[in-house]
Amino acid sequence: MRARRVLEICRMGVINYADALKLQEKLVLDRKAGIIPDTLLSLQHPPTYTLGKRRTDNNLLIPLSDLKKIGAQLHYTQRGGDITFHGPRQAILYPIIALREMGLGARLYVEKLERTMIELSSQYGVRASPGKSGETGVWVEDRKIGAIGVRISNGITSHGLAYNIDPDLRYFKHIVPCGIANKEVTSLKREAEVELPAEDVVQDRLVSCFVEIFGYDSTVWKGSDSLVVTKGET
Amino acid sequence: MASRLMWASRAASRLRVSVFSRGLATVPKDLKYADSHEWVKVEGNSATVGITDHAQDHLGDVVYVELPEEGSTVAQGNGFGAVESVKATSDIISPVSGKVIEVNEELSDSPGLVNSSPYEKGWIIKVELSDSSEVEKLMDSDKYCKFCEEEDAAH
Repeated sequence: MRARRVLEICRMGVINYADALKLQEKLVLDRKAGIIPDTLLSLQHPPTYTLGKRRTDNNLLIPLSDLKKIGAQLHYTQRGGDITFHGPRQAILYPIIALREMGLGARLYVEKLERTMIELSSQYGVRASPGKSGETGVWVEDRKIGAIGVRISNGITSHGLAYNIDPDLRYFKHIVPCGIANKEVTSLKREAEVELPAEDVVQDRLVSCFVEIFGYDSTVWKGSDSLVVTKGET
Repeated sequence: MASRLMWASRAASRLRVSVFSRGLATVPKDLKYADSHEWVKVEGNSATVGITDHAQDHLGDVVYVELPEEGSTVAQGNGFGAVESVKATSDIISPVSGKVIEVNEELSDSPGLVNSSPYEKGWIIKVELSDSSEVEKLMDSDKYCKFCEEEDAAH
């Protein structure tokens, strides 16, 4: 018999990358200390390029001085993975969860993140699949629709996944996304034949897919106005 | 008689195969283990540290290992480096305290050694121990085996 799993979900709206990072660092410490339960941040970023621990900045194709002109920031991070872009209308989920309590290692965790995005895609009639070996992420044929970059520190996760609902895909032209050349980036808007509901509905659905795939028993939803609505789910 | 022997040996080999296919990770008896899945081999006042077979299996293919500097200090329970696999960086926690006297430079070109040879070619650092009594806080191979089973059962 396993303990009841609770997930606290915080809808953050559009927040700065650096602010989100600071918040995650605090939450990771709190989670490690057992002060908070598993927590999921659901948010979007203003136009931001990020690099992983290996600092593969050769995959940024424009000079740093041009970033401001296109209205984007650049951040170096400690997550795994290569260069990527985050921007409005791209759904970001940052799960801060204790992997060991779930009996998960990095590989299974990442697989479940992939499945979360694949499940969401299928709900709008889009057939997505995990990448080939070494190409973590979620693909529609050979077009990338979702990316993953995770940090595991003392068994607690941070960073997470980015799913393209309908971001401005032109920003991806300035990088070699995830270091994989000659592959397109796509979005749910491009791939779906059905009309999509409002973006926040799609993003909430993505969160629900996460909850189901990770097997949480109940969720507590929090908005940025700190309203706490408790929902019990089987 | 011959057919019974054949049946017995087939059954025996099937049993052997089924033990391997349960995916039991290797846990060498002469090492000590931390609950963050690192192993330690103590030789006198120095120790070699790496991550276990269970750990590398749960990580996936390692594509990058961040090594500490030779001469830096490590402390039991604190992170000293990281491995990257499947778009995840996971920190490596030191099971002992002391000074790093050698790092496995081979891992820079061949990070996959952590997966293919976690207890031998995939060793990560060598430490001059500052407090050899700390090793007593670690698990022996039997305890570690049980610990892994319990952790995996939570899934």
